[in-house]
Amino acid sequence: MSSEHSQIVIDYGRTNRVVEALSYASIDEFDRCLSILRESSEKDSFRELEMAFSIFVQELAEAKERTEAALLGNEAVNRELEAKLETIELQQAALRELSTPIIEVWNGVLCLPVVGVVDSHRSAEMTEMLLDTIFTKQARTAIVDITGIDVMDTKTADHFIKMARAVRLLGAECILSGVNPSIAQTLTHIGVDLGGVRTVRNLRDALQIHLRETEQLAAHKKHE
Amino acid sequence: MGFEQRETTVVRAPFRERTFPVTRRSDAVLIAPQARHLATLFGFGTRRSAEIAIVVSELATNIAKHGIRGEIILQLDEDLPPRGELTVIARDIGPPIRDLALAMTDGCDDRGPIDPSLLLSRGGLGTGLGAILRLSDRFEYRDLDEGKEIRARFFR
Repeated sequence: MSSEHSQIVIDYGRTNRVVEALSYASIDEFDRCLSILRESSEKDSFRELEMAFSIFVQELAEAKERTEAALLGNEAVNRELEAKLETIELQQAALRELSTPIIEVWNGVLCLPVVGVVDSHRSAEMTEMLLDTIFTKQARTAIVDITGIDVMDTKTADHFIKMARAVRLLGAECILSGVNPSIAQTLTHIGVDLGGVRTVRNLRDALQIHLRETEQLAAHKKHE
Repeated sequence: MGFEQRETTVVRAPFRERTFPVTRRSDAVLIAPQARHLATLFGFGTRRSAEIAIVVSELATNIAKHGIRGEIILQLDEDLPPRGELTVIARDIGPPIRDLALAMTDGCDDRGPIDPSLLLSRGGLGTGLGAILRLSDRFEYRDLDEGKEIRARFFR
């Protein structure tokens, strides 16, 4: 009785079948693996072992399916995140652009409305954009409106005035509009030479100056 | 008399500390106006709040430019004598400033004077640290194990 339980005889064919079944499982061929494990008609403990294997493989197959589904879901989420990141990048580029908008308000008249916080970096960016745009658009007048600026660091203000002078070197005129008392104090405090830079109270006055001068120029040409 | 009046009109800090992560240039454009608003809430005048915003903007742009990544931290302390202060902390994991005195000189970076013809392409005037020094009440710099930290303090 006890010897019957402790030993069983199995021919090579059966063990080979299990090996074959497991090798199918290892390459994800779960259905073939299961059919091999289940085809036996014996009724001994080795058969029980085969059935246990088949349950195990069945569960493995299901787990694998679930993982793949989850991975697919993750991919979708990732794609969505990437799309969102791209939108953010685009919006940030737009934001940067908006921080130095240069508007051609009239033929040959550029307007650079400056609002928000002006630091040394932004000041350098503005200079580059303004000088480039004056050159490419062959503008005659550049109006820099700083109504929206409360405070500037002395060096940044100094650079601003230098930008205005650089505009003159390009053969255009720079009109500074909307200087507030605080910035006026900063500018005089650093003793910057405002020669060549016209300052007016507001954008309207700046445009009037441009129009008057254009008229004068036209009248002058008529006389010739 | 004047002292008593001040005591009764003290503005409580709306928060102790607020952190803004900085990774790109445009972060400066977003953080600076918030800093100005918070400074005004904390009782700084219009002009001072605008100066604080400029300092925040300089620091944030510096992080995005040289620091790889970092953060701006605004700390409010209403109890610090004489009447409380706002500290702007800029921390990043970028390389340290080699020569602080030189970098703080207007028109210079930490290697020396900047060639004026390169001013436009380098995207800055080399006056940022100078501006922070001029606009804040105290300026502190220190190297960290990884990166560096700049503190600009403003007394209320």
